[in-house]
Amino acid sequence: MKPIDTYPRTQSYDIECIHSLSRGEEGIILEVPDMSLLASLGLRLGKRVRLISKSFAGGPVVLSVDDRSIAVDRELAEQITIRK
Amino acid sequence: MAHCGPKTKRRGQSKQLSGGDLHKTILLMGLPNVGKSAIFSRFTGLDVMVSNYSGTTVEFYEGPMEIDGESYLLKDVPGIYNLEDPNDDAERVARQMLEDGPEAIVFVLDALNFESSLHLLMQVLEHDIPTVVALNRTDLMKSRGLRIDASLLQQRLNVSVIPTVALRGNSLDVVKYAMAQTVKQEARHTVPSKDKDRWRVVEELREEVVKTTPQKNGADRFSFLAKPFPGIPIALLVLAVMFGFVIGFGMGLRQYLLLPFFDNLVFPYIRGGVEALTDSQMLRAILIGDDYGFLIKGIEWPFALVLPYVVSFYAMMSVLEDTGYLPRIAVLLDGVFKKIGLNGSCAIPLLLGYGCGIPAIMSTRALPSKKQRLSVAVMVCFAVPCVSQTGAFIALLAERSIFAFLFIFFVSVFAMILVGILMDKFNKQRVPFTLMELPPLLVPAPKLLSKKILFRIRHYLREGAVPMVVAIFFAAVLFELGFFPALGRAMAPVVSGWLMLPEAASTPLVLGVFRRELAVLPLLDLDLTTVQFFTGALVALFYVPCIAMIATLAKEFNVKTAVFVFIGTTATALFVGGLFARGYDLFVTLFG
Repeated sequence: MKPIDTYPRTQSYDIECIHSLSRGEEGIILEVPDMSLLASLGLRLGKRVRLISKSFAGGPVVLSVDDRSIAVDRELAEQITIRK
Repeated sequence: MAHCGPKTKRRGQSKQLSGGDLHKTILLMGLPNVGKSAIFSRFTGLDVMVSNYSGTTVEFYEGPMEIDGESYLLKDVPGIYNLEDPNDDAERVARQMLEDGPEAIVFVLDALNFESSLHLLMQVLEHDIPTVVALNRTDLMKSRGLRIDASLLQQRLNVSVIPTVALRGNSLDVVKYAMAQTVKQEARHTVPSKDKDRWRVVEELREEVVKTTPQKNGADRFSFLAKPFPGIPIALLVLAVMFGFVIGFGMGLRQYLLLPFFDNLVFPYIRGGVEALTDSQMLRAILIGDDYGFLIKGIEWPFALVLPYVVSFYAMMSVLEDTGYLPRIAVLLDGVFKKIGLNGSCAIPLLLGYGCGIPAIMSTRALPSKKQRLSVAVMVCFAVPCVSQTGAFIALLAERSIFAFLFIFFVSVFAMILVGILMDKFNKQRVPFTLMELPPLLVPAPKLLSKKILFRIRHYLREGAVPMVVAIFFAAVLFELGFFPALGRAMAPVVSGWLMLPEAASTPLVLGVFRRELAVLPLLDLDLTTVQFFTGALVALFYVPCIAMIATLAKEFNVKTAVFVFIGTTATALFVGGLFARGYDLFVTLFG
């Protein structure tokens, strides 16, 4: 895991898992597993993401980052934290 | 075809090689789904091959291309996101190709995936090979309110950057012109990312060259397709329409075009010709007889009964592929597939299997784990009828009872799931994470689409129709020599005793080993009841896929797998077929 260094901890945020967003809501990525594919798909620290659809029957969540749609495994999505 | 094309490996060509040497290669690189194949397609002719990089299962296209009167071999390097993952086969192949010393690189920089593309471009530039950048999908970029300053980017990287719309062929001549200049020179670009954090460099460069005017979010416009509702009903509808089109269009083509053409215009002349040329009863029977008359069935079966469905299936499948809709089906099905240890992306080889099992097995290479590859390949072998066989099923069943035909497909899907569950039971493994991009939906470009469909029909003619004609020829000779009746008597206990079919039905069982549809087509000329037809169809569905698929299995996996599938399918086919025949018999005795 990459450390959260881009955001000062003195301010208070609602740090949440990406799953807590409701459909259409946006958040900024605070922490993301260190995988090169995640980075290439645009899921990097400080990126603004929007939840397009939630996981259904154990399937992936669909996120929108930089105008791209990315399907992310539910388990993987649980490891991405965001602030609203 | 294609998939058995020669293994290619070309090493370190230097610029001293004589002009017109085909060994000079140019690499076409970029992210997946960014229009690389569209550029490849427009730069090369129909003389395209699929090759394997030696020692790997990674496939790529290559074809000759002319620049300034000189021939080059253009290689469509598999789409990748990165160059550095040691575990990713495609990335390893891309790295190896870069090290093999190509003359130049055409890099497709996707305007929509700007940062990721730039990140890959940095890694490619580090190899110091002359590079031309095609900034692609500039049409979609404009509609999303993005403006990219190509000349500024050109300045920063010191490479030619040409805005293009590959799908419509815009500015590709300019790319070619820039290539003509670039291949003559040494690489002279700057690599701003050396010794720095690449993502940071990329983000800074993007800040500099991309201007955004906030607009209605493009990616969200079709987002409903990936949501369970209405995504799943729409997916079912799309598949149903596809199924309907494949069958309807295929039947129409056959009934109103091909059958009348052959029956009225071709066969009378062949019959007349053969009768005029020879008096030998035996020769006449082999050539134009009612059973396996080579010049009649050898034309009718491959070209009038099966070809129409091949055309309609691949037309539909190519449209689905080129619109970018398939990954959405994969996402919707992901949760369900996970229950049997697979990912949603396994849906794509399975769908392809309804066309032909060989490309389906080959395409399992793209799946994330060995276990998934094997599961999906075995599912295709056991339960997915290829389009040739589907065409035969339609000829056999649909005209008698559309219900029986639909029921065969229901059985096929049910069996596919069952095989998937069993494969998972015997080989439990962690399911790899699903992580994929959903490419933007596009209207397919007619020119590229028709080239793709033609390529696939040509593949059927070479790899499907020709072996079928050969098999029918041998069948015709063996039939006249009295081989099949003798075989029928030998197999009587199984065929008549267990399956309750006439002895003559042993012939399709023998032929079916060679071609999947030949397990069905000979039944057409037998005088059977609908129940017997259905038994025959059931046996054919589960029966040995076809010798070419068995060979593909042995090549892609190992001989053990191939033998297991061969024996497993035969046993299942006979078991299920007999069970149905006897079950029906019992049902009639009890309640009829």
